[in-house]
Amino acid sequence: MSAPPVSRAAPMSRRGFLRTASGIIGLSVLGLPGRGQGADVGVPAPLGPVPGVAAQRIEGLAKVTGEKVYARDFRARDMAGWPDHQWHALFLRARTTQEAFLGLDLSSLPSGATPTRVVLGSDLEPGFFDAPVEFRRDLHIDALLSARAEEQRKTAKVGSFNLPDGLSFDLLVRPGTTPNFLGQAVALLLFDSLATYRAARRFLAGDDGIVQRYGPGDGPDGTPLPEQPFDPRTLYVKDPDFDYAGTDAETYAREAPQVQARIREALDAATGLIRQPIRAEMRAMDPMFMEPEAGLAWIDPARKEMQLVLGTQSPDGDVRNIASMFGSKASPVRDLSQVTLHSCYPGGGFGGRDSSPFSLMLALAVAFAEGNPVRLAYDRFEQFRVGLKRHATVAQGTLYAHADMRLEAVRLNMVFDGGGRRNLSPYVASLGALCAGGSYRLPVADIHAEALHTENISGGSQRGFGGPQAYFAIETALDDLAAAQGWDPMALRRANLIAEGDTTVTGGPIEQSLNLSEMLDIAEAHPLWAERAAIRAGHEAEGRTYGTGLAMSLQAYGTSGDGMVAAVHLERDGTLTVQSDAVDMGNGSATTLGVTIGPILGANAARVEMGGYTLFAQTGLSDDSANHQRWSDPMWTQKGTGSSSACLTGLHQVNTVQQTAQALLRGSLLVGAAKLWGRGPLSADEVVWEAGALRPAGGGGAPLTLATLARAVHEMGLPTGALGHAYFQNVWAEADFDTPGGALHLQLDGLAYYRGSKTAPLPIPRRNGRYPAPETQRYSRYVWAPCVNVVGLTLDRASGRVQIENVLSVLNAGHIHVPEMVSGQSQGGVAMAIGYSLLEDMPPGMAGPADGRWNLNRYHVARAGDVPLGDRYVPGARAQELITIPQPEGSKRVGRGIAEAVMCSIPPAISNALRDATGVRFASLPITPEKILGELAP
Amino acid sequence: MTIRFSVNGVGFELPDSRGQDTLLDFLHEELNLTGTKLCCGIGVCRACTVQVVKPPSPAPVPTISCSTALATLDGTQVSTIESVARNGRPGPVQQAFLDGFAFQCGYCAPGFVMAARLFLSGLRAQPVPPDQLEAAMMDAIGSHICRCTGYVRYFDALRPLAEAVNAGEAIEL
Repeated sequence: MSAPPVSRAAPMSRRGFLRTASGIIGLSVLGLPGRGQGADVGVPAPLGPVPGVAAQRIEGLAKVTGEKVYARDFRARDMAGWPDHQWHALFLRARTTQEAFLGLDLSSLPSGATPTRVVLGSDLEPGFFDAPVEFRRDLHIDALLSARAEEQRKTAKVGSFNLPDGLSFDLLVRPGTTPNFLGQAVALLLFDSLATYRAARRFLAGDDGIVQRYGPGDGPDGTPLPEQPFDPRTLYVKDPDFDYAGTDAETYAREAPQVQARIREALDAATGLIRQPIRAEMRAMDPMFMEPEAGLAWIDPARKEMQLVLGTQSPDGDVRNIASMFGSKASPVRDLSQVTLHSCYPGGGFGGRDSSPFSLMLALAVAFAEGNPVRLAYDRFEQFRVGLKRHATVAQGTLYAHADMRLEAVRLNMVFDGGGRRNLSPYVASLGALCAGGSYRLPVADIHAEALHTENISGGSQRGFGGPQAYFAIETALDDLAAAQGWDPMALRRANLIAEGDTTVTGGPIEQSLNLSEMLDIAEAHPLWAERAAIRAGHEAEGRTYGTGLAMSLQAYGTSGDGMVAAVHLERDGTLTVQSDAVDMGNGSATTLGVTIGPILGANAARVEMGGYTLFAQTGLSDDSANHQRWSDPMWTQKGTGSSSACLTGLHQVNTVQQTAQALLRGSLLVGAAKLWGRGPLSADEVVWEAGALRPAGGGGAPLTLATLARAVHEMGLPTGALGHAYFQNVWAEADFDTPGGALHLQLDGLAYYRGSKTAPLPIPRRNGRYPAPETQRYSRYVWAPCVNVVGLTLDRASGRVQIENVLSVLNAGHIHVPEMVSGQSQGGVAMAIGYSLLEDMPPGMAGPADGRWNLNRYHVARAGDVPLGDRYVPGARAQELITIPQPEGSKRVGRGIAEAVMCSIPPAISNALRDATGVRFASLPITPEKILGELAP
Repeated sequence: MTIRFSVNGVGFELPDSRGQDTLLDFLHEELNLTGTKLCCGIGVCRACTVQVVKPPSPAPVPTISCSTALATLDGTQVSTIESVARNGRPGPVQQAFLDGFAFQCGYCAPGFVMAARLFLSGLRAQPVPPDQLEAAMMDAIGSHICRCTGYVRYFDALRPLAEAVNAGEAIEL
């Protein structure tokens, strides 16, 4: 048996700071305990020898051989400098919102199952929750929140853990008050031995209510009240004279209701328009990532440092929230000086680990562990019970069309079940409102979206971020409209395609080529669509019911303003290291970033270190929103960093890494090469990489390997690494930077160079900056990942069982860095969409997983037999074919979205196919056999 | 009375009182072998698959370690994902999954590897008609849950190996 790996400091410590009520707390994010991602895996060049091409995932060997890469794998004994003995934490969860939680009665616990310590809400000082946190997610919505927070500052109860405006609820319900939602923690049990912890878990499995007492007491504490919306709600009204993007916030807030009334009046009076009702509802969905959330924490008493081992999609939010919470004057941990996160590979994410409350619950546990390391590890029952969900949603409204197929307007009200905590629900609802415009030109819009606080499990960021719900509503309504009017569904869509120069429902312009018409051409000509009548006849001849469905999506990605940071280092041995604030949830971000530097620097990265949120601190930039100089301050940026997704990697992170690699090449390596060749200044056009060496394009110098160049730049005192920060808001912020290679114009707003040291780069103030226009923030989104899906399915009328026979996905994925990962992402999106559409059924309330008894025996996700496994359409066989749109010559090597884009339009395509098969609209997801049999019953 | 079994060739002898502990907990907490993964904990997802030889049958069988009590393992030989690579070199199934980008988050990969190896061992002992190979693969790994990949690339990666083994090629698994 090999010795257990031990932790050592990751190669780089990236520190940031947070000013709190009790002082400044340092923040650090380190790599995986034991090693950096991709390093020390026994493979010198895990990405392979061909620059720009990945031979395998950079972390693949570690994962496939079972090494410790997930937070769940680690124990205190694995962590260098930690005590070996660890405690174990278990939270008991609220089982009702109708009575007050009165306390615990642990007398029924068997001997050997008694906790070492019990913590109730009454053990926490109220001020502990007085922890407002700056969490900048989506700038145009945050602006609304900030304005409202200022309005409410003196009157609102402040009880937040992740909000600037105080709308949230206690981490532990205070005895005597009614829980705000099912699954809210009512008590923390801590055990100093594994045996005792296991005994307690076994006893409480399935019903932790047997030790909880409920009765009359105070109502729920905090706002909003049940069935009230979390702030803010989203309203997009648009007509030829008024829209969200073209109006300042104050005017919009004042006038939008009047415009909404005007629009409604005009639509009601428009007798010539065809009206198509929109009605769709969707159950909540569990992301069901494979690794239930788990983590480890310890407070080092000597250094007053809280260390956490976590797999998270939002390291920035997590460490800031924790520092903010423990920086309050009533913190149970006094004088905390440092919060350090050891960032592990998440065992799946899909958004479910983005701003998850898990990290705060772990931090809460360690605060009471009496100096011991503590492990919090949900089992699958707990994960179902409290993990963030895709929101259950109801969408209702009307589509208005002219007799010539032109769409005139959409009116839609979307209500998302936000559940207990606000989390990211209003942001999700907001993007859902934008997506409700679909892929279509709509001159008039009246779209309202809100997330309600309910007793149910909290909703959060999930793959698609409101898109799946919106596209299901709009795309099923379009097919109903086509059917009602006798129109071809393809022709109806084609008549209304949005394109460059058009505006979305916010009024924001489309400034990116979408290729929607070309994509429809491909779908229309594909035999799955073109020969659908013959395919259907073939199935019917054999007694099967068959249908074909079409749907489109135009998934927006990024937010209304995104900041990213990346570093590229040339090591002394000639290998390359990439660092990024992005997190790799399994989507391949680390691999993509590792190969994207290959064509620029002549080799792929040997190491990629992800989750380096606090790299931003090294840039010397500030994103202080109170800085009134804003862009005129050369060291200011609009936003430091944000959360991670595969889509963000494809465009945003890739471009940032590429620009930073360019800065290293042109600002250092070419300077060194010119000196070695005895030539004057070189431009990038004057050199080529060949067989791992740099040579002059026109000859006249010996080829220089990266190892030679590395020695040279290290010895010449030239930059050995570059750190770039980028900001995207419709366009990239761009500027000039004075470097050893002369002035470089880059799509960066911050650049710093390392010289030997990897922790203290020297920032270069930017010059001649070109910045996004402030008003573009109100476009909401700027970049899009369009997808057309065609689904062919069979229905067994006796059992109600649906089988997906074929899926065609036509995707505009931009530049494809790693084709194998693009197809894998797409296939994962297809499988998840099939589950969402047909299988994954999760009732609200205690009839669902909030009762703590749900697992994969009741919640069915797609398995291999549920998905078509072929990858090319062949008549008579099951397949899912992905066709990607080639990028025009000369376009940038950046990607767009993949899995989100593909999965968003599959659920409506499935429902449309069922309608084609049966003539019945199934507008409620999931479409279970019971629902089908119920509708088809004679 | 004691429970005797081996894990990756190392023998263990435990008191009967440990009989209700699960194999997965034993691997994780006592041996620090965390390559075998917990996902559902009730034997549905098969992420925790290990292989077990239970005499008198010499043939290893896939075993759900999250739901296997130590009491049932007396006299058995358990092999986990940590035993598959040799001197840091991945086995053929692992290499095929790597080359084929078969997994993403990778949490399910150890379970797929163990099941696929057993499938190939069985195929070597008892080949199937080529037209039944796909169904045999589905029997072997079709119940394993993967949330990231949609399964296609797992099957694509395993198929060439299965065809080779089924055709009698000598591949050291």
